[in-house]
Amino acid sequence: MTIGGWIFLTISIGFVWGLCLWCYSRVLRGSKIEPPPDSLGG
Amino acid sequence: MTEPGHHPTHTHPERWGTRIGVILAVAGSAVGLGNFLRFPGQAAANGGGAFMIPYFCALLLVGIPIGWAEWTMARYGGRKGFHSAPAILGVIGRGSIARYLGVIGVLIPLAVSFYYTFIEAWCLGYFWHYATGGIGIDTAAPVSEQTAVASAFYNNFIGNDANGLLFGGSIQTFVFWILTFAVNIYFVYKGIAKGIESFTRWAMPLMALAALVVLIRVLTLGTPDPAVPEQNVINGLGYIWNPDFQALANPQTWLAAAGQIFFSISIGFGIIINYASYLRKNDDVVLSSLTSTATNEVFEVSFGGLITLTASFVFLGLTGTAAAVATGTFGLGFNTLPVVFAHMGPWGNLIGAIWFFMLFLAAITSSLSMYQPSLAFFRETLGVSRKTATTIMVSICMFGSFLTIWFSKDSVFWSTIDAWVGTFLIFVMAMIQLVCFSWIFGIDRGLKEAHRGAEMQIPRFYRPILKYVSPTYLILVFIAFCYSNLGSWLDAVKQQPAAQLAFGLILVVTIFLVICLRIGEKRWRAEGLDLDDRRPEE
Repeated sequence: MTIGGWIFLTISIGFVWGLCLWCYSRVLRGSKIEPPPDSLGG
Repeated sequence: MTEPGHHPTHTHPERWGTRIGVILAVAGSAVGLGNFLRFPGQAAANGGGAFMIPYFCALLLVGIPIGWAEWTMARYGGRKGFHSAPAILGVIGRGSIARYLGVIGVLIPLAVSFYYTFIEAWCLGYFWHYATGGIGIDTAAPVSEQTAVASAFYNNFIGNDANGLLFGGSIQTFVFWILTFAVNIYFVYKGIAKGIESFTRWAMPLMALAALVVLIRVLTLGTPDPAVPEQNVINGLGYIWNPDFQALANPQTWLAAAGQIFFSISIGFGIIINYASYLRKNDDVVLSSLTSTATNEVFEVSFGGLITLTASFVFLGLTGTAAAVATGTFGLGFNTLPVVFAHMGPWGNLIGAIWFFMLFLAAITSSLSMYQPSLAFFRETLGVSRKTATTIMVSICMFGSFLTIWFSKDSVFWSTIDAWVGTFLIFVMAMIQLVCFSWIFGIDRGLKEAHRGAEMQIPRFYRPILKYVSPTYLILVFIAFCYSNLGSWLDAVKQQPAAQLAFGLILVVTIFLVICLRIGEKRWRAEGLDLDDRRPEE
């Protein structure tokens, strides 16, 4: 495994996990807010 | 009182129960065998770590924006009382041309389900065999013999040697297919919230847990054979992640990356346009779409990118893994990995069982999503109950699936459907959707509609991306794709009777769907529904 390999592995996996956790944190945070009329809860 | 424009047959319109439920259902639809088996092969063959540059470019320029467009169109169409791709595209595209082209959005999931549940049955069958003692690979024999045993088991299991094999002699594959099909129909029949949503809400976390167990086992393999110290986990990771920047100069790399993103996140499949139509007027679509895409990416990049080829490299080395990649998705999954599991010693069968159970869950969350679009289509075109619509859908699916299982020789029959419907028409459908959203419905109106109830803003630079960049990107990839594949596909149809039969089946199903749409169109007009979006809402 080269340094380049480690860099791509770390950035790629970090990016998808970061994006996913950021999205779910917003989705779950949204569920704690009173939902607007005619919308789903969390 | 019904909302103006609502479908009168939908006295109690179906809805998702929770927001997390719809996100997981869409993500479950996207996460399939390709995440674990196709992605690593594509990455390794197209520049390793460097593949991730065009991969993420395609994600940002095509995958995410088309996802937003599809969710938005679906919710808008749902508000008009429609839940099938033809009716929704008729609304968004304002007329019959878009509506009839939208039939492709019902044909794709329906026809793909003919063979997808068959493949799903392989996963269930392999899980059963691993849970009850493995498939008989002797690790004392040379690796070539082990691979031959795995290959013979696979060919026998899927009936590769002759047509009709799976209905005679050992009918185990057929039994696994019956079980798989029955489970699918059970959950689809129970409905959106009580069936599909309740299943995916536990299936997705369970799939993640299974993937995590296999990943931990693979990453702790170390150097299993001290006689070949170069075959270790770190070098296995290097096999897929070491970048080859020269590959970036090859257009094939960019094509492969765009194709992987495109097929992985289920855009243009006719599924999201159905699923998101069950959202309510003010439900968020922007963050939900992004979340389901991100979930798919986690499964693909972090599980698919770390497990499959790393495990193969550790036991089979550079040559064996390169040969496995060359055999493609199914060769890697069903020929190579069984050999790898056999080398894991006493844990091998357990890890193999967990792996194939995980693939089964990945497949079933995808196949569930393939039945709902046609079910919704038959309900709203023919004005029938859920029970009648399910009967019509099951009859068509059983007919198509029986043909798929009977004509199993060399996988020609289902490969033809996969090529023409599961690949070619998906590009066409994505293009139609993008044109309807960005050019007919209008990009400004579309983005305004997307932001209704949205919990995050779509960045402004996505306006020109959605209008110009995504369609151009898609057209270029489509042209390159046709250039690479269309000739050989047409030759296959000319030369192989099973391919012609598959083509005939696609044609017959298409005609039937068009007739249903014609009936539905007349009904909708008679009922005064706004099927051409002549009464736009503000």
